[in-house]
Amino acid sequence: MIRTRALSGGVHLDDRKISSGKPVEFAGIPPEIVLFMSQHTGAPAKPVVKAGDHVLAGQVVGEAQSFVSASVHASTSGTVKAVEDRYHPILAKPSTAVVIEPDGKGEIWEGVAPGSDDISTLSPEDIIKIARNAGLVGLGGAAFPTAVKLSPPKDKPIDVYLLNGAECEPYLTCDARLMVEEADEIVFGFTAMMKAVGAPRGIVCIEDNKPEAIMAMEKAISGKPGIELCVLKTRYPQGGEKQLIQVVLGREVPPPPGLPFDVGVVVSNVGTAYSLAKALRTGMPLVDRVVTVTGAVGSPSNFRVLLGTQVSFLIEKAGGYTGEPGKVIMGGPMMGVSLPRTDVPVLKGTTGIVVMTKDEVNLDKPLPCIRCGRCVDSCPLRLLPVWIAAYSDRGMYEEAEKYRALDCCECGVCAYRCPSRRPLVQSVRLAKQAIMEERRARAQKVSG
Amino acid sequence: MTERLVVSPSPHWKTDKTVSGLMLDVVVALMPAVLASVVFFGWRALTIILTSVSSAVISEAVYEKAVKREVTIKDYSAVITGILLAMNMPPGVPLWMPAIGSAFAIVVAKQIFGGLGYNFVNPALAGRAFLMAAWPLHMTRDWLAPGFFGGVDATSSATPLAVLKGAPGGTLPGIWDMLLGNRAGCLGETSVIAILMGGIYLIWKEVIDPRIPLGFIGTVFVLTWVFGKPGALFQGNAIYHILSGGLFLGAFFMATDYVTSPVTSKGRLLMGIGCGVITVLIRLWGGYPEGVSYSILLMNLVTPLIDRAMVPRYYGWKHEARKEKTL
Amino acid sequence: MKRSVFYDFIKGFIEENPTFRLVIGMCPTLAVTTSVVNGFWMGLSVIFVLVFANVFVSLLRKVTPDEIRLPVFVILIATPVVIVELVMKAYLPAMYEILGIFVPLIVVNCIIIARAEAFAFKHPVLNSFADGLGIGSGFTANLILISAIREFLGTGQITVGSFRFPQAPLFEPAAVMLTPPGGFICLGLLMAILNVLLARRERKMKAQAV
Ligand code: SF4
Ligand code: SF4
Repeated sequence: MIRTRALSGGVHLDDRKISSGKPVEFAGIPPEIVLFMSQHTGAPAKPVVKAGDHVLAGQVVGEAQSFVSASVHASTSGTVKAVEDRYHPILAKPSTAVVIEPDGKGEIWEGVAPGSDDISTLSPEDIIKIARNAGLVGLGGAAFPTAVKLSPPKDKPIDVYLLNGAECEPYLTCDARLMVEEADEIVFGFTAMMKAVGAPRGIVCIEDNKPEAIMAMEKAISGKPGIELCVLKTRYPQGGEKQLIQVVLGREVPPPPGLPFDVGVVVSNVGTAYSLAKALRTGMPLVDRVVTVTGAVGSPSNFRVLLGTQVSFLIEKAGGYTGEPGKVIMGGPMMGVSLPRTDVPVLKGTTGIVVMTKDEVNLDKPLPCIRCGRCVDSCPLRLLPVWIAAYSDRGMYEEAEKYRALDCCECGVCAYRCPSRRPLVQSVRLAKQAIMEERRARAQKVSG
Repeated sequence: MTERLVVSPSPHWKTDKTVSGLMLDVVVALMPAVLASVVFFGWRALTIILTSVSSAVISEAVYEKAVKREVTIKDYSAVITGILLAMNMPPGVPLWMPAIGSAFAIVVAKQIFGGLGYNFVNPALAGRAFLMAAWPLHMTRDWLAPGFFGGVDATSSATPLAVLKGAPGGTLPGIWDMLLGNRAGCLGETSVIAILMGGIYLIWKEVIDPRIPLGFIGTVFVLTWVFGKPGALFQGNAIYHILSGGLFLGAFFMATDYVTSPVTSKGRLLMGIGCGVITVLIRLWGGYPEGVSYSILLMNLVTPLIDRAMVPRYYGWKHEARKEKTL
Repeated sequence: MKRSVFYDFIKGFIEENPTFRLVIGMCPTLAVTTSVVNGFWMGLSVIFVLVFANVFVSLLRKVTPDEIRLPVFVILIATPVVIVELVMKAYLPAMYEILGIFVPLIVVNCIIIARAEAFAFKHPVLNSFADGLGIGSGFTANLILISAIREFLGTGQITVGSFRFPQAPLFEPAAVMLTPPGGFICLGLLMAILNVLLARRERKMKAQAV
């Protein structure tokens, strides 16, 4: 049993995992598929199809253009309707997308060839290549290209690989369900990941509010050398990469641009491991994922969703709204993005769709800060959100930078706990943007 | 699409703890002490408290109306100021004193600086300091011997602290009387148990950080034990020192005031210890018998400095690196 | 442009009110304003010194070399101060006792040196005279206002010679008003009120101009 350390700050949330008992079902083929070229951290992919082309499931429609990028594949067979700008829910602005009209047959592209069931026959390079060709990204939300994650710099040996099944966001149950139903596949993918980075030790981390998942994973890892299980006390935001490393290993990742590599750790989400397993066995690239559709909907569910399926289609599938909808959130209630419209597609990083009713939406006006220090006590990075926000609100971004605005992971705990309802995360985010812009301008001046 | 959706930055959840909720918790926590004061000093105590509270609330409303600010009396902070100020008065004061003190506390110490969140000293303590400077005789002489429900003697009697300091004609009450509150003193100073109940409630509800009261009381205990007796070390009457005067009231309810105490946990511990040190300095070697309120006021003034100095070690930062890169 | 002599006089009351707007001459303001009588005599002394110094500084401004102007100012200021001091000692010994050190300290009162440096040294005699009289009177008015408030609140009545208003204190006097903290509070509040009123007037004038 691994002795866990305390998380700095954080908060215990009412987890509302109302869909945790629902098995994952296939959501079906929607009438329209919208595949953004930018669904991941890094450079957007370049569309390689044009309107009128017929595409098959698994076929490349967008090609990765650089090292930190990921290809995009058609999630079902059909005709390309257009390659055009659509409203991107995360970037909150129009962005290039390939729009496909499915033919409903779900034919598989001939390039998808079954791979290997035996990891020992694969070299680390093979595994990385498969992850790259599958367009695999982290499915926990940040959507960082997996191939990049699996290629740590040579001078930074990795001794532990953490498999993140914490799923600390309230409402979301996609990872928990996946662990219950596909534990063996996850462990298969995880073994491959460990091999790719050369990690001798792997730890599966699950919060204690998912007993079924813990049981399933315990069974799946038994007899697998080097893989252990770590059960965590439920606390938000433990599922954050840095937080998980702190809690499980007692190590602290250096501030940005520091990465988990620097302390010999790689962290991946259970969903990513599952998708990698699928790519290894069947050769099928990342074309679907599990999405939790929950909150104020008729029947909160976990769906296997083809990437590019519209949110409105999923809400319909989950029984439609109950009550007047107030907010539709892509992601969890703490870090998700509230959508202005529901005709936007599911992306690779979409963990869930949470619907809040009008009454649940908090519209309190922010009051002056009363210096209660709650934000400070609860920041998992031990920052001082109160000062960062105060300087940011006054346009004093340099001061905000001194208080390490750039370290903030936007977990939202500070704003959650603020009794004055101050939009702290928003203020910090503005400061971050201003600081980055300033840096870019400075860099340009130097180079020009 | 027919639905009209709210778009706002994350997080989309907020605690249900609001400013007024927290303040209401403090009001609730003060109730045992209010009750105790009524038990020991009779209805007169209640009239003082009510006068003080209504004056505080009315001043806040009138001032905010006058300067066309949003009226914030619903956040209960003025109520707390009113109660705390009353708690800091001897039971024999004339009623106009709490009225003026509260008005001063709210208008001069709080609203002029911008209202809740912007005041730099605790308004109730500023009000008390003003009254103390303006009408020192009333504030230091109108003690009453406690009696149950209105059975109050009109004679003045020395407080335990004055006795400790060598005031003539007084004897120390027993420990039990000190704990329960059967002794002379300000309205809220008397019953340690009542205040402790409120304090524990606040800590349990996570309204206040225990570091401040514990640091405060602990420091006073240790220092008075070591230096409490002139000419001999380690023989001071520490128990009496921590039980007497406004120490518990100050430590749990006034030093912990959010606006005027540091935001970091290290800073709060320092605040508590600092208050303790200053209190002991005043009590043992200063001109006044009691130093709790001045110690808190002084620490209020250095709170911004503490906030600058007591920055936590950010996640992933080494100590040296932080010093270089930040302040 | 020739400045209006009248403006130079009148500006001392509001626009360039030494205490509330320029915030100079604070030490006597806080120290002697415990009673109206003190404030009045202090103000009078300052008017005399200010006018005297302003006039002579202005007269000599063309022949005073820049490098040594401060010593010259000090001499020109010290002279009337000594006059005031001696006169007061001779005819108002009781008042001299009370004002004590603050009378000789007028030499270094920043109002006077400031007016000499900022105004009299650059302006003709008549304007300087008006400036001295105006600023001095404004200062006196402030002292009387502050001391009236402090004396009334601090002792419960205003006493001028044998005249008392009201006859007996109506309320229990607040001793704090006679102490320096009381002076600060009173000064701060008055300053705030004046600033609010001026800001309001400015806004109205701007609104009208538009
Ligand atoms: S959002 Fe940023 S500042 Fe706020 S608690 Fe999280 S890491 Fe700290
Ligand atoms: S939680 Fe809100 S009110 Fe409290 S210190 Fe932070 S910003 Fe201020």
